[in-house]
This record gives sequence, structure tokens and C-alpha cells, in this order.
Amino acid sequence: MGLDFTIIVKNWDYFLWGRTFQGDVGGLLLTVLMALAAGTLSLVLGIGLALAGWLGPRRLRTVLTMLADLVRGIPLILVIFWIYFLVPALFRTKVPGALSVILALAWFSSGAVMHTTLAGLDALPRGHREAGITSGLSEGQVFTALLLPQALRNLVPSYVALFASMIKDTSLAFILNVPELTMTANQVNTRAQIYPAEIFLFTAAVYFVLCSGLSWAAHGLALGLQPGHGV
Amino acid sequence: MGLSIDWSGVLTGQPLHWLLSGLAVTLAITLVASGIATVVAVGLTALRLSPVAPVRLATRAGISVIRNTPLLIQLLVWYFVGFGLLPPGLKAWMTGDHPWSVLPGQVSLFAPEFAASAWGVGLFIGVFLAEELQAGLNAVAPGQREAAASQGLSGWDTLAKILLPQALRNAYQPVVGQYLNLMKLTSVTCSIGLAEITYQARQVESFNSHAFEAFAVATVLYLAIGFCLERVLLAGRRA
Repeated sequence: MGLDFTIIVKNWDYFLWGRTFQGDVGGLLLTVLMALAAGTLSLVLGIGLALAGWLGPRRLRTVLTMLADLVRGIPLILVIFWIYFLVPALFRTKVPGALSVILALAWFSSGAVMHTTLAGLDALPRGHREAGITSGLSEGQVFTALLLPQALRNLVPSYVALFASMIKDTSLAFILNVPELTMTANQVNTRAQIYPAEIFLFTAAVYFVLCSGLSWAAHGLALGLQPGHGV
Repeated sequence: MGLSIDWSGVLTGQPLHWLLSGLAVTLAITLVASGIATVVAVGLTALRLSPVAPVRLATRAGISVIRNTPLLIQLLVWYFVGFGLLPPGLKAWMTGDHPWSVLPGQVSLFAPEFAASAWGVGLFIGVFLAEELQAGLNAVAPGQREAAASQGLSGWDTLAKILLPQALRNAYQPVVGQYLNLMKLTSVTCSIGLAEITYQARQVESFNSHAFEAFAVATVLYLAIGFCLERVLLAGRRA
């Protein structure tokens, strides 16, 4: 099979930023922006929920874990549709497609962030809390000054890995015609008709570079953050 | 609140028919893709244990490509590119008439949408299953492999009879999780036009605007299938 990548060369700027300079953010730029927004939201939400589950009564943690499992039992694509069709019905305002996807991703992933964070807190040696208490710190001080910073440092690689899978999930914005990378590729494919292999293989390569780069970064971080490396 | 709920718009007549046929297609694609994923996972595990270094390297590279690209892009590649690469005779046969292969809702098991979806989702989850099996395999004592070899077992027998059963026992929970994930990910195939549950819920929405009811039914269906699938798979551990 002969591949002819001139279609990519001719449209490279469209793949990278779509119609951003015409006032419509798109392409790879939109993919990255959506992932960053959803990543920030789910990090804040997920860590918040983990703190509530860790510090609150035992029953709260059980309820939160059950809710997170329920959320993950529903396909992400349906969550996107729920937000896209229901928020307008409930509040009589239209939600832009990109925002629907960001909210759906945050909703979907904050449960995973919560699970990961709780696991990180559980993994700390019990002696740390006891040492803090013996040194005269209060429960609250032990948590904010001793446990949380250690847990978060250990968790950075896991968060980076979650972010890589979030970048892949932004491709589902395709179903709402949001002009991110996958939609952009589809538009170029529809226009050109005869180069699907070149277009979709190139798009796959862009995602691959982005996500495997992040995986390597996560792996490197995991090694670098081990005790004794002084970060 | 601008929401009025009317279940009859979804649970009667044509919409009900659509949703039920979507359910049948989701069940069928889950079953076929699970089979493909299982074969892919076992095959990849065998390739990773190959004594030939380039084979191991190529397997790792392939796994990395599948893991680091979105499922949707992979489906688009299989649908728009992969199908075109099949031998013309096979293509003609697949798009031909096979009344016995037609699922409710006029979806044929050999239609390009179904074939690309089953292969795409199966391969994607197969790779993640192989990773879970590898983790389970890492926990098997190295002596097991050596003992099998010294008993004169072939490489394949060692894998199939000694290593995989133990790996599966070590990684049972995550493996079940991957099959559940597969079932949920079949929803992505609606974007290449496979008429499964999510596709049909959208069709109902554009037919009579009963978005809330249609997506509620779809959500309940996925949760119910997931619940049953998990029960069945976890019962398998005790057997």
C-alpha cells in the first residue's frame, strides 16, 4: 500500500489548531486545552473527595466508594450525552459541546483520582502518624504537614498516567461535533475522501507521541521520586 | 425545571423496538469482542515469552501503540482502512446476504461496522488483558517454569497448563474488570455507526426528543448488563 502524506503537509496547521485564528479554538490545541481543564477539575474534585473519605467517618468513605463505582459503571459516552442533553432541559441554557465533554470527563475521572489518592494515603506507614502525635502535633497538623505532602509526592506518577488516559478520552468529543483533533481528522477525511489511511494513522501518531511521552514522564518521575533521590 | 417525563415515548412502539434491538447488538458485540480479546491476550502473553528477542520487542511495541492511542481512532482506522485491506473475495462475502447472521435491527454479524467494532474493541481490551495477565505472571514463582521445563513440557504446554492458570488466579479481579470495561467500551462503536444501545438512544432522541427517558433506559441497561456480567464472571472463580 503506497501512502501519500501530502494531505497531512497541506493541512498540518488545521490539525494543530483548527480554526483558532478565526475565533474557533480547535485541533490538537483544543484537545490539550480540554484535557487540561478536565484534568484540573478532576484533580481538585478527586483529592477533595479523598480528603472527605479519609478524614470523615468510616461510613462516608463507604458511600463515596460506592458512588464512584456507580459512576464508573456507566459508559463515558453516555455521561457526555447526559450532560449535553439534560443540562439544557433542566436550566434552559445551552451547554457548548466542549464544555459538556470537559464536565463529563471530570465527573468520570474524579472517582479514579479519589481511589488513587486514598490508596496513596493508605500506603503510608502507620508510624508516621504516631511519630507526629508523639512530637506534639494535632491530628489536623499531622495530616496537612506530614501525611498529605508525602502521599501527594508518591502519587504524582499515577496522576500523570490518569492525565494520559484523559487525553485519549477527549477524542470522544467527536460524537458532539466538537472540533478537537479526532473531529478535525474526520473533517479532513470527509473533504479529501481518498486518504483515510494517511489521515487516521497520522492522527494516531500524534496521540501516541503525546500519551507515550506522558507515560515515560510518569515512569521517570516514579523513579526520581523514590526516597533517597532528593526532589 | 423544563423537564417533563413521559416513559411511553420510549417504552412503546418504534422507540422500544429500537432500544431492544440495540440491547441485542450490545450483547452480541460484547460476546464476540470478549472472545477476540481472550485470544489476543493469550497470544500476546505467549509472544512475550518467546525466546526470540525481536519477537518480544515487536510485541512490546505493538502493545504500546494500542495502549497509547484512543480506541475511537483505532476504530476509525479499522473501519476506514482495515476493511479496505481485506481480500476482495472476503469483502464481497462479508457484505453479501447471510440471513442467519442478521441480528435484530438489521445488523449483520459480518457488516463492516460490526466486524471493525468487534475486532477493534477486542484487540484494545486484549492488550489490557495481556498486561493484567503479565502482572499475574510476575507473581508466579520462577521455579514453576523451570519445574515444567524439567518435566519435559513444551513451551506452549508450560504456558497453557502451568503458568496461565496461576497468573489468572493471581489477577482474577483486574481481569474481570477488563471484561466489564469491554462491555462499557462497546458504546464507542456507535461513532462508526454500529446500532447498539447508545446509537439507538440517540436515534430515539432525534426521533421524538425524549432525551432524558432514552438515556435513562440506556444507562439502566448498561448497569444491568454490567451487574449480571460481573456476577457470572465472579462465579467462574469458584468453579
